[in-house]
Amino acid sequence: MADSLEERLRARISDIQGEFRLEAIGVAVHDYERGRHFAHNADRWFHAASTFKAAILLAVFNAAEKRLLRLDDQLHVRNRFHSIVDGSIYRIDGDRDGDPATHRRIGRSMKIADLAHAMITRSSNLATNLLIDYVGVGAIREMLSKAGVQGMRIVRGVEDHVAFQKGISNETTANALVQLFRLLCEGEFLTEFSRQQVRDIFLAQEFKSMLPARLPPHVRVAHKTGEISTHWHDAGIVNFPDRKPYVVALLTQGAPSVDQPQRAVAALSEAVFEAVTT
Amino acid sequence: MKIVDGMTLSAEHRALLRPCELLTDPCGGIHRLPRWFYEVESWQAAKAMRVTANFMLAELSTVDCREADLLVRQLPHYVPCTLTVLGRYLQEFRLRAEAPVYVSVNGGYRSPAHKLTPQYATPHHWGTAADIYRVGDTWLESQKTIERYARIAESIGPEVHVKPFGHGPGETDDHLHFDLGFVTLVPHGCSEL
Repeated sequence: MADSLEERLRARISDIQGEFRLEAIGVAVHDYERGRHFAHNADRWFHAASTFKAAILLAVFNAAEKRLLRLDDQLHVRNRFHSIVDGSIYRIDGDRDGDPATHRRIGRSMKIADLAHAMITRSSNLATNLLIDYVGVGAIREMLSKAGVQGMRIVRGVEDHVAFQKGISNETTANALVQLFRLLCEGEFLTEFSRQQVRDIFLAQEFKSMLPARLPPHVRVAHKTGEISTHWHDAGIVNFPDRKPYVVALLTQGAPSVDQPQRAVAALSEAVFEAVTT
Repeated sequence: MKIVDGMTLSAEHRALLRPCELLTDPCGGIHRLPRWFYEVESWQAAKAMRVTANFMLAELSTVDCREADLLVRQLPHYVPCTLTVLGRYLQEFRLRAEAPVYVSVNGGYRSPAHKLTPQYATPHHWGTAADIYRVGDTWLESQKTIERYARIAESIGPEVHVKPFGHGPGETDDHLHFDLGFVTLVPHGCSEL
């Protein structure tokens, strides 16, 4: 990315922050075509919302490669979890979860591969907590450490309200998410076979109102969204038919009253696309 | 179904099923694990094997990946002969509840090697317990629903034990635990010596 383009992108990010009255924006981009990296508040910590599920997916595949689990193993679907604060029981609210299909399996079992797919493509909170319980937070952290991903803190499952009230949440930086998705494009952390499977799951993402929303139809985006009342994020790999991909993380924070915040992330994505491809 | 003496199984199977070994329950009671098993040739056979009018063998013995690998992945499977007795009690419960009864995965027979309860004796290791998560359209995840069906289960007879509602050890909050205690069954033609 030429310096002038980088300046224009920074100006556009500033405009979007003002237009949507956002408190903070974090952006990180790595472009494989030109070998350039762009960062804007990329080391600032944000509540990770559901973007941390990308790390859970990599941890599941890492465990599968180590033969600690099999992707076709069946796991009991049980909606009962323990808070990390006091061990109290909590459940995932089925009405708020984005994935009713996993809730319909309560009492029965699902393949780990299917839970992983639901966790990413429909951001299933129930599937996420089941996988975290089975793989273990410690193993997920170890995976991040061994993969060299810095700037992501995973401490708990989703909807642990006791922990949330105490300010204990999963957090990430934009740089960490870019590092995470770069593991799917380069290096030897996972075999190419596993990387392709993981990329395919991210490509099947069903929530498309942010990162891909304003990109041209010829690009294919492998990504993971994350939204809570004050944070709206999207991160992933933008693939082209005739150009090397770029990896991008877009993190935003604002008041709950922000109007249609997903549009801000979509505008950021469009600005990055123009800067990277111009 | 073919009946198998657990003491004649391979060393690998005996290490996991632990036939005739003593296990201690959470109250300090000591119990001898079952010795006699049905041999189930395939998962399809378990799904097709009707224990009673409304319960198939598979429903009373489905486990997830927390069960020992050998017991899940290698055929044949072995389940205690008491599972048929459990099925008859569940059939009676279904009749009294006037609705279909659903037993959860890991909620019927699971081996002593299962990771959910490896340290102590539970009737699940004897094939005499069922975790019921749903009756008809009612999900058993509240005190009201669990206690309603607990009363129905207890009405069957004094040999039926249910765990009380609660969040602590020995209590349940997302299913009804139904069991017959540490019953073992010695089929005709089988010698205990």
